Amino acid sequence: MNVVTRGIKNAVRSPLKSGAIVLMFAISIALILSMLVARGSVLAKIEEVKATAGTAITVQPAGVMGNMGGGDPLTAAQIANITSTANVSSISSTLTDQLGTDDTNLTSSLELGSFGQRQQRFETSGATETTDSQATDRPAPTPRTSVTGTTDVNSIATDGGDLTISSGETIDGTSSENVALVGSDLAAKNSLATGSTFTAYGETITVKGIYTTGNAFQDSGIIMPIATLQTLTDQAGAVSSVIATINSSDNVAAAVTALETSLGDDADITSQAESAATSVESLQGIAGLTTTGVIAAAAAGALIIVLSMFLVVRERRREIGVIKAIGGSNRKVITQFIVEGLTITVIGAVIGLILGVLVSGPMTTSLVTSSAGSSSATETAEGPGGRGMGGPGRAFNQGAAQLNTNLTQVTASLTPQIFTLAVGITLLIALLGSAIPAWLTARIRPAEVLRTE
Amino acid sequence: MVTIENVSKTFNTPSGQVQALKDISLTVKTGEFVSIIGKSGSGKSTLLSILGALDNPSTGSIIVDDMQINKLSGARQTQYRANKIGFVFQQYNLVPNLTALENVMLALEFGGYPSNSRFDRATQLLESVGIEEDQRQRRPTRLSGGQQQRVSIARALANQPAYILADEPTGNLDSATGKKIFDLLHDLSRSQKTTIIVVTHDLEIAGKTDKTFTLKDGKITTV
Repeated sequence: MNVVTRGIKNAVRSPLKSGAIVLMFAISIALILSMLVARGSVLAKIEEVKATAGTAITVQPAGVMGNMGGGDPLTAAQIANITSTANVSSISSTLTDQLGTDDTNLTSSLELGSFGQRQQRFETSGATETTDSQATDRPAPTPRTSVTGTTDVNSIATDGGDLTISSGETIDGTSSENVALVGSDLAAKNSLATGSTFTAYGETITVKGIYTTGNAFQDSGIIMPIATLQTLTDQAGAVSSVIATINSSDNVAAAVTALETSLGDDADITSQAESAATSVESLQGIAGLTTTGVIAAAAAGALIIVLSMFLVVRERRREIGVIKAIGGSNRKVITQFIVEGLTITVIGAVIGLILGVLVSGPMTTSLVTSSAGSSSATETAEGPGGRGMGGPGRAFNQGAAQLNTNLTQVTASLTPQIFTLAVGITLLIALLGSAIPAWLTARIRPAEVLRTE
Repeated sequence: MVTIENVSKTFNTPSGQVQALKDISLTVKTGEFVSIIGKSGSGKSTLLSILGALDNPSTGSIIVDDMQINKLSGARQTQYRANKIGFVFQQYNLVPNLTALENVMLALEFGGYPSNSRFDRATQLLESVGIEEDQRQRRPTRLSGGQQQRVSIARALANQPAYILADEPTGNLDSATGKKIFDLLHDLSRSQKTTIIVVTHDLEIAGKTDKTFTLKDGKITTV
């Protein structure tokens, strides 16, 4: 029997005592695991929310929203200011306008409807008075065709990807030619195809391609290079909207602040990151809570092992004295107790891991659901079948199907890094918890131990 | 040979300093069977602990086979105990979680005995002290006091030590069993030329040893 076998044998010499230590330690391990899994899930969700929020910041002249409101367009100097702002990796500029019947030979593919009529109810086309008696003299309102000048035609896509060109080819947003992409609905309405021409602002525009977005408004519009539209509308350098792309989602807030400072009251700045911040904030609260939980559970586990081993060593002081008296070295004594501590710890850890698998899924669900119910966090943190779990206690009463669910959920969240961290913390606790009290006793002279016992 | 020169030992206790040994000097020749007698608290066990390097003297020196053991490092003293000393305690001090056989094998492990022959050596030793085959796999709690002391002697003999230090080896045994244990130690000293130093308060036992030292209040009064 060598020192390792002796250590293992000693670990089970008092089943009741060892069992109690193992159980207490297992519970702390289960808590550590649950908290790590919860933390992993929450951090992943935070990243997901940040990624969903994107890195785009929209800058519009103050008071303008699309073709509504009023104010002056952004100037070339302001555009240069945006471009040179820290963390801004690229920008796309847009100028929008509407083509009335006087501006183009195209017929809008949108029906005016009651909503459109209401929007145009104040326009009188040259009328100088707006009394009710004269209202009947106004020409009937007609639907208009939206035209967008942009440096990046893909910014028109509604799905965040590249614009779908159903026929022909895309246009270069930085050119100044009289070319356009025409929405599929508008093209159909006016029998336009690639190579066709139409008239706008008194100029002949060539259709380079037809695009489709699946959005009725967008598919009834026209896209041109921004310089072309600026020239045609006699608004040199004017921009009605800028989308600035930030190099990292972490820098969006800083970029917004920088732009608000530099542009002042001349521009309205919006970013999805701001709206996502509330969700992220609550999730970060949970992440902080789980981190505290991990530390508390690890401290409790460490305390359980250290105190238990301290008591075990203390009640076996005489045995240590005897071992030293018959020639056992300090190293042998310490090694024996480390093996004993590790054995108890490993048994406890295995039981704790099983417990952790049982409870961590529902616990994560419970934490995320209760604290971030308003965000979409629950959908991700909650695994299939997770909804409806009331807490860890109920997990024991679930059948094999529930166990499968939890296993799937835990293995999805339990990355090798988390697992290594958990094992590392556990072994370190066991190592220090056994070695320190054994060392403290072994360094005492044997006669002292034998005399006082 | 063991030479003790001017050894004193002082303990710090809550009620002040206690001088357990006062300027002790004595010599024990190789192969001698020596007894140390004295009343309780006279310093007998303290002297034995210092001889076995379980403790260091406050002053003086202990020279065992030309080696001043009280100047050795802790690790070297452990080595000294493993190879040169065999302890027999009044309370037997067997490791409770190990069987009789394992207790003897433990001492063999510490003495650096090859692992593949420890079992045979331990079996042979237990046989020589009269432990039956069925008793060898028992833990100490399932052995009588006399059997435990026999196992303790087998453990003390494991590494063929030059010195056996026995602290009241018959103190917890009835007179008949105590006599058997004493005879066992006596036979050993004769057959294997092992130097045996026994601490006892039993004058009958002391009378049968080669030399007897009497301790009174930490001082040797008669030789």
